[in-house]
Amino acid sequence: MPRNYIPILIFITLAFLFPIVTLAILRWVRPSVPHKAKLSPYECGVDPVYQPRERYTVRYYIVAILFVVFDVETVFLFPWAIRYDVLGLFGLMEMLVFLGILIVGFVWLWKQGALEWV
Amino acid sequence: MFNQYFQPNDILIIYPELLLALFAMGVMIIDLFLDRAWKVLNAFTALVGIAYAAYALYRLKSNALNLSGYNHAILNDSFAIYFQFVFLIATALVILISARYLSIEGENRGDYYALILLSLIGMNFMVMGIDLITLYIALELMAVSEYILVGYLRTNRQSNEAAMKFFLLGAFSSGILLYGISLLYGISGSTDLRVIAQRLAERPSHDPIALVAVVTLTAGLLFKIGGVPFHQWLPDAYEGAPSTITTFISVAPKAASFALILRIFIVGLKPLETSWVPVLSVVCVLTMTLGNITAISQSNIKRLLAYSSIAHAGYLLLGLIAGNEYGITGIAIYFLVYAFMNIGIWTLVVAMRRKDLIGDQIQDMAGMIYKNPGAAVLMLVFLLSLAGIPPTAGFIGKYYLFASVIQTHHYVLAVIAVLNAAISLYYYFRVVVVMFMSEKTDEEKMTLSPGVLTSLAVTLVFTLLIGIYPEPFIRFAQNSLSLFQ
Amino acid sequence: MEFFNSYILTLLILTPVVGALVLALLNKEKAETLRRTAFGFGLLTFVFSLHLVARFSSGQSGFQFAENHAWIPAYGIRYHVGVDGISLWLVILATFLTVVSILASWKGIEKRVKEFFIFILLLEAGMIGVFLSLDLFLFYVFWEVMLVPMYFLIGIWGHGRRIYAAVKFIIYTAVGSALMLVAILSLYFLNARATGVYTFDFPIWLNNIASNRLWIDPHIQNWLFLAFFASFAIKVPIFPLHTWLPDAHTEAPTAGSVLLAGVLLKMGTYGLLRFNVQLFPEATRTFTPFIITLAIIGIIYGALVAMVQPDLKRMVAYSSVSHLGFVVLGIFVFNMQGVEGAIYQMLNHGISTGGLFLIVGMIYERRHTREIAEFGGLATPMPRLATCFMIITLSSIGLPLLNGFVGEFLILVGGFGASIARAKLYTSLAATGVVWGAVYMLWMYQRVMLGEVTHEANKSLPDLSGREKWVLVPLILLALWMGIYPQFFLRKMDASVSRLLNPPIVMMVQK
Repeated sequence: MPRNYIPILIFITLAFLFPIVTLAILRWVRPSVPHKAKLSPYECGVDPVYQPRERYTVRYYIVAILFVVFDVETVFLFPWAIRYDVLGLFGLMEMLVFLGILIVGFVWLWKQGALEWV
Repeated sequence: MFNQYFQPNDILIIYPELLLALFAMGVMIIDLFLDRAWKVLNAFTALVGIAYAAYALYRLKSNALNLSGYNHAILNDSFAIYFQFVFLIATALVILISARYLSIEGENRGDYYALILLSLIGMNFMVMGIDLITLYIALELMAVSEYILVGYLRTNRQSNEAAMKFFLLGAFSSGILLYGISLLYGISGSTDLRVIAQRLAERPSHDPIALVAVVTLTAGLLFKIGGVPFHQWLPDAYEGAPSTITTFISVAPKAASFALILRIFIVGLKPLETSWVPVLSVVCVLTMTLGNITAISQSNIKRLLAYSSIAHAGYLLLGLIAGNEYGITGIAIYFLVYAFMNIGIWTLVVAMRRKDLIGDQIQDMAGMIYKNPGAAVLMLVFLLSLAGIPPTAGFIGKYYLFASVIQTHHYVLAVIAVLNAAISLYYYFRVVVVMFMSEKTDEEKMTLSPGVLTSLAVTLVFTLLIGIYPEPFIRFAQNSLSLFQ
Repeated sequence: MEFFNSYILTLLILTPVVGALVLALLNKEKAETLRRTAFGFGLLTFVFSLHLVARFSSGQSGFQFAENHAWIPAYGIRYHVGVDGISLWLVILATFLTVVSILASWKGIEKRVKEFFIFILLLEAGMIGVFLSLDLFLFYVFWEVMLVPMYFLIGIWGHGRRIYAAVKFIIYTAVGSALMLVAILSLYFLNARATGVYTFDFPIWLNNIASNRLWIDPHIQNWLFLAFFASFAIKVPIFPLHTWLPDAHTEAPTAGSVLLAGVLLKMGTYGLLRFNVQLFPEATRTFTPFIITLAIIGIIYGALVAMVQPDLKRMVAYSSVSHLGFVVLGIFVFNMQGVEGAIYQMLNHGISTGGLFLIVGMIYERRHTREIAEFGGLATPMPRLATCFMIITLSSIGLPLLNGFVGEFLILVGGFGASIARAKLYTSLAATGVVWGAVYMLWMYQRVMLGEVTHEANKSLPDLSGREKWVLVPLILLALWMGIYPQFFLRKMDASVSRLLNPPIVMMVQK
């Protein structure tokens, strides 16, 4: 049983080693000439005027969440569509229940005014 | 092909939960068409849903014994049904007291009830599931609903802070729990608790991996019941959350988490008993002692009750450590009792919330006997019950738990537990002193809404009835013994 | 009458409860009605309890008037009550002192009258229940139930540091009773393991122990004995667990002190006699020297500390520690005289110390102080009170022809005849307690009552009112009766006590 996992172990070791080794080699190989312009956020652009961390309007999150919900929906829809003939009636019913719940939530959000963001 | 995934019988098993889900969605939709003045109808809708679900559950109980479904992922045995009844009772009582409180706070919306119902569904699956994946999803359904409910007062900073703490620590603990689950799966190649038990029994008794799995599972689960050292979130969450939600999370989710623990430890991890009993014994002693001692110095009634609830989790762990029939019946009856006495006392805390008075300092209750003698006497009964003084229901619960550890010869634990119960008298009676022996500081009387009155009447009657004539309730609680089958 | 005979014990427990419920329904403004109702129910309970005396058959050693019903059959918990020669007089004492303390609170309690009498009646129900229970679970329930009313009596109507005293009282007692619960449950499972029967029934346990079906390892016995002992010793209180007592007694209202000293302390000694001694014979043998030593320390220590108290009530409280030491000594000498003397002394203490607290209460009502230094020469304005006080003081000291003498005498006789090591030394030491008692009591009486009136405020104190006479006279009559004709009381104890002292013990439960 543990023997089957040896490739994974090798893979993990390699995955860890690769960035460490590369970075180490690069640090050793590259020239290091720091100066002010090089250390600024945009080396060849204008200096930043204000902090890049900024508050977004909260509505943005609602849109994002709405997007995630329907994103997940498609994640379920695609496999179901591909295996439709195997799953048959059962699959259809399940999917209808799923969509039904989503639609209730969507209607609720709509009525709450979540879609009126202007 | 059809039968491979699904059998018509499956729908039957989860019929009460399906009803609850329908009502949860229904409340949200109906709420959209209600005027401000009619929001109280939401509570009615939710109550109807619960009544309907209770009826369905009752039919289920009388129809068959062990209902297994969904490829053995769900087992609706009498243990599960018993706890579902406890949840239904607790939820119904909480909904009764919510309507008035929400309108005072100005947050009277339908999604509150929908979330409570969803959380109830999660809890129901937590006691029905016998497969780790199902259990985990159920746990998350319950927990996510609670996170939102704790932060339900959007404009209240304290409520938001509580929700944030609760959410972060909750998510963290879920992660640890999931880690334990994955280890168990790695060891046994299955997520079915019964299969896990078989596999574990075949392994050497001091298996380090199994031990790590036990430790992580214990840590994750202890968080949910507020066991020391995973209890820090609890007082903050209890204090910050809307009082009605505190009422709710101090009873139903706690019972659900405990039922989950019972299922995992008694069914799945039984072969590892020698490794988890010592761990839990230490946790149990710490939980009782720390809960009680910290409660002594609290001046806020919500925090006091929060620490007392930590201590109660400690007493409940006694039943699990004993792990015998007395212990399981003890936990089962204790939660029934706890549902009544704790909701009773929290109902009074909720009722003290008036227009301009938060009413959560112990000092706010000064001279309550002069202003609201009825409420003061009720409070006394519930406090006595929490302290475990006969002839209240709390005594019966404590009696079972203490008896269970004595039966398994854990005498030291039993002595520590009873001494803790004696310590707890000190702070419960501190509240009594303020209510009965201090002069009143203001003239403001409580006004009790019909919902609060109903809830108080029910909790009082059962707190006394279970204490004086416990026989039928014990028989009812013995349903939970199907856990051993 | 048949009905009365078979349900008299339940009636005794329920009458005060019904009284409390009736009071709860009455208007709280009508103080006089409330007092009368409470008095009526108290008197009714007392009359019912006299029925016990009338119908009690002295020759029987077992429990009489027994009632035995299933309560929680799932775990063999029963409602089993009965009375025997040991508990009979204690029940009467409880009902009698309740009537007395209701009368005594007529004027002293002016605020929250309704609740006061409700708590007194509930306390009475609890006390009677403790003495009657034969099922250990039931016993524990009553034992705990009693705490709550007493807590309120001290906490609401007490003086000075009343809340501190009330909390101290309840925590001490709760710690003790918590340990007892562990021991009761352990016995329950030990018995079930040995005999296969799950029961809390005391006579059945005794039978099993006597017939050796339930044999408890001496090591375990010691622990169980100590757990029970902790609970009872706190209640008695046996030195060094007595520290709650002076606070509770001093701060409690008069009625509370009377019931606390008169009845509640007796539950401790009753428990020792009924449960410790009978359930754990081997452990009792092991611990007897230890307990006797503590009892003697208590006798002497209590007396010495009482002597120097500046507070009248505190002095009486410490004298209780001393007197209860005698009772414990009497129990642990294990012969007829000793044990009967102990039971008798329990009754005496109830009457004489109850009386002392009543008189201190009456003086306090007049002067609102209890400092001995504030008094002096009170006999001049209050001759009648002084007479009553004298008689009760003498009864407490143990003057022949008064009740205290009989009890102390029997205990000392028992002590000298005891078949335990160094019995004579122990008893001689205890006997000095009698002398100390005489010293501090008489000295106190002299300072309070005799001599010139030194304080202006004391000159015009009113003498006993009619009601107060009604309170004190029955006590004095009883003290005389018990001193002159003790046989009336002792006769009813004989059978039960000799059965207790002569194993093998086979309990016959009379239906």
